[in-house]
Amino acid sequence: MGIPDSARAVSVEAGQDCLVGRFAAMASPCEILIESGDRELATHLTRTAADEAWRIEDKFSRYIPDNIVGQINTANGRPIEVDDETASLLDFAATLYDLSDGRFDITSGVLREVWTFDGGDRIPDPEAVDNVVQRVGWRRLSWRRPVLALQPGMQIDLGGIGKEYAVDRVAGMLSEAIACSVVVNFGGDLAVTRQPRQRSVWRVGIEALSATGGRAGTVLEISTGALATSGDSRRFLRKGGVRYSHILDPRSGWPVEGAPRSVTVAADTCTQAGMLSTLAMLEGHAAEAFLDGEGVIYWCRR
Amino acid sequence: MADKDPKSVSAALAAATCSLLGSLPAAPVQAEEEPNWDFNTALLYYGEDNDRVQDLSLNILARRDYLDDRFLTLGLTIDTLTGATPNGAIRQNVPQTFTRPSGSSAYTVPAGELPLDDTFKDTRAAITVGWEQPLGRLWKTGIGFSGSREYDYTHLGLSGSLSRDFNKRNTTVSAGLAVAHDIWDPVGGAPLPFAPMLDVGDTGNKTGSDTKNIVDAVVGITQVVSRRLLVQLNYSLSNASGYLTDPYKFLSLVDGATGDTIPRVPAPGAEGPSHEFRFENRPDERTKHSLYGQAKYYMSGKVLDASYRYMTDDWDIDSHTVDLRLRWPLGEYSYIEPHLRFYTQSEAGFYTISLVDGVELPAHASADYRLGNFDAITAGLKYGWKTSSGSEMSLRAEIYQQNGTIPGELLIGNQVGRETYPDLDAIIVQLSYHFSR
Repeated sequence: MGIPDSARAVSVEAGQDCLVGRFAAMASPCEILIESGDRELATHLTRTAADEAWRIEDKFSRYIPDNIVGQINTANGRPIEVDDETASLLDFAATLYDLSDGRFDITSGVLREVWTFDGGDRIPDPEAVDNVVQRVGWRRLSWRRPVLALQPGMQIDLGGIGKEYAVDRVAGMLSEAIACSVVVNFGGDLAVTRQPRQRSVWRVGIEALSATGGRAGTVLEISTGALATSGDSRRFLRKGGVRYSHILDPRSGWPVEGAPRSVTVAADTCTQAGMLSTLAMLEGHAAEAFLDGEGVIYWCRR
Repeated sequence: MADKDPKSVSAALAAATCSLLGSLPAAPVQAEEEPNWDFNTALLYYGEDNDRVQDLSLNILARRDYLDDRFLTLGLTIDTLTGATPNGAIRQNVPQTFTRPSGSSAYTVPAGELPLDDTFKDTRAAITVGWEQPLGRLWKTGIGFSGSREYDYTHLGLSGSLSRDFNKRNTTVSAGLAVAHDIWDPVGGAPLPFAPMLDVGDTGNKTGSDTKNIVDAVVGITQVVSRRLLVQLNYSLSNASGYLTDPYKFLSLVDGATGDTIPRVPAPGAEGPSHEFRFENRPDERTKHSLYGQAKYYMSGKVLDASYRYMTDDWDIDSHTVDLRLRWPLGEYSYIEPHLRFYTQSEAGFYTISLVDGVELPAHASADYRLGNFDAITAGLKYGWKTSSGSEMSLRAEIYQQNGTIPGELLIGNQVGRETYPDLDAIIVQLSYHFSR
């Protein structure tokens, strides 16, 4: 199933002291905030951003059958030689797997076969979970750049990295293209290309509680760097008084206990912010302790 | 992960991200929660010429942003007032002696000079507390409390407001109500109406404290006419009742033919007034109606702010105020703002220069120059700039000139040519500092 061309349109309108380019990619509303009054320039930058976002989406989305991810997932045990960009993402995934002691695993997507987080109470049969977990685990596949071989029945999903990677890629391109400050915001994961001149900060609303007990709808001021948020308070299951977060521990196949509802992290790049917020969610009860230990700027909502 | 060295994940992640992206941004992340508190502080000096009133005032207004358009405001004002002010008596060709408001001593004004009471010295502290928040999507409400305290005066006030947006938020209709209860506790007591000024130590002409109540109501509409033009129109009604007299002001009791003040001899061995003076007496109710219109016009960075107010009250005072400001940016970080204000008012119906001996007293009378017929002009310049830390500062300097005329029919005999309206020149200097935390 491809993306219809009609959905791939960009628009530019005036915002507060900036121009706002909009388009949709990766199932998210995407915004390019440009500190400039030049509409022609804004349209060009938005188009550049959208083209790159759609390129990454087309290449790595698991919903698009013929792309590299589709080839890997349907290889049925055959080794696949991948291009440089895919190889870099796989190297990155391998590092994250090691850093997280196996909690961050791009092969965990098959757990969706048994888990559906729709706010309901359908908890899967433990035996079914155990069966699926046999097909999960980075250590079960073979990765020797540039050749990847999955065991039959395994799948990879780069969705946990793709959006943040796209934000950083687009921010890098726009930073080279233009001297004014631009915010690249893909559904709340964002990066600032450089410090804004007129206002000195960009104001960004996040739906998270501050570590110091703030409230939902905190407004952040960011002048350089990036923000990413993990978690979605609408995606959970509830049964017998227990709330099952949609954050699954790929080692057991069961939801992480005590995961925050959302974690927003500020870091130099959107990729770092996104991985730190994801790793914090996977820590469950220890999310804040982990983030404090890493010395990062974060807002955690429980 | 918890058993690893602190920051080990961050460092390894940074390295991995660098190989993934090819490079990392030059500038490290800078992000923080938006400051919640906004502070507006100002130090203001107001000085009248000829050693008349000098006022130094410190103003701090703090505003806490609770998001979703909910705000708490806290205000504190402290000011000190010193100097002399006309006491209401007319000039004489001989020195005049007055008993001070305290009743404990007397002061003498040289022949031919405008009698000023130089005992003015007061410190005032005022606080305000306000809360505003939306009610649903289109309504907004606010409540407020105000209180102030000075040596002889206490003010307590409550206010509430309600507004609603219409027309895609281009139109806002608002209404407000404020009530206040003020207590006068004048030095030496509040004089009885038209009571004569007595010798030092004799308080037979004074009673204790007195109060007044004030109700203000306002309705208004604000309209965004275009991207450049914003207009506002308000009607307000104000009713004050109770003790509206100035306890420190009085009138000279004069001879109906010469216009000279009737001489008086203090009791043997006592210090006291050299002439006959009667404390003023104002109506115990005042109702004001005001119409106010304002337009703000934005033109490529410059903002013209023009307003006009018409006020009329049942004391027969009509006033007109025209206020013009033009904010002119000087580059990105500073601006200048010239300011012009014109004011004119007609005198109160009971305003007079003196009371005539042997004639039945009017129901009300005051010689307070502020109730007379006068024009005033304010002209000034403000310079504002942004500091490197993002705060804003401004310096404002203005001159104020008040010129009045005494209607000819109020002058009797020798008063003609001798008595003139006490014109006033003042300067205003204000330093403001705005910052967020």
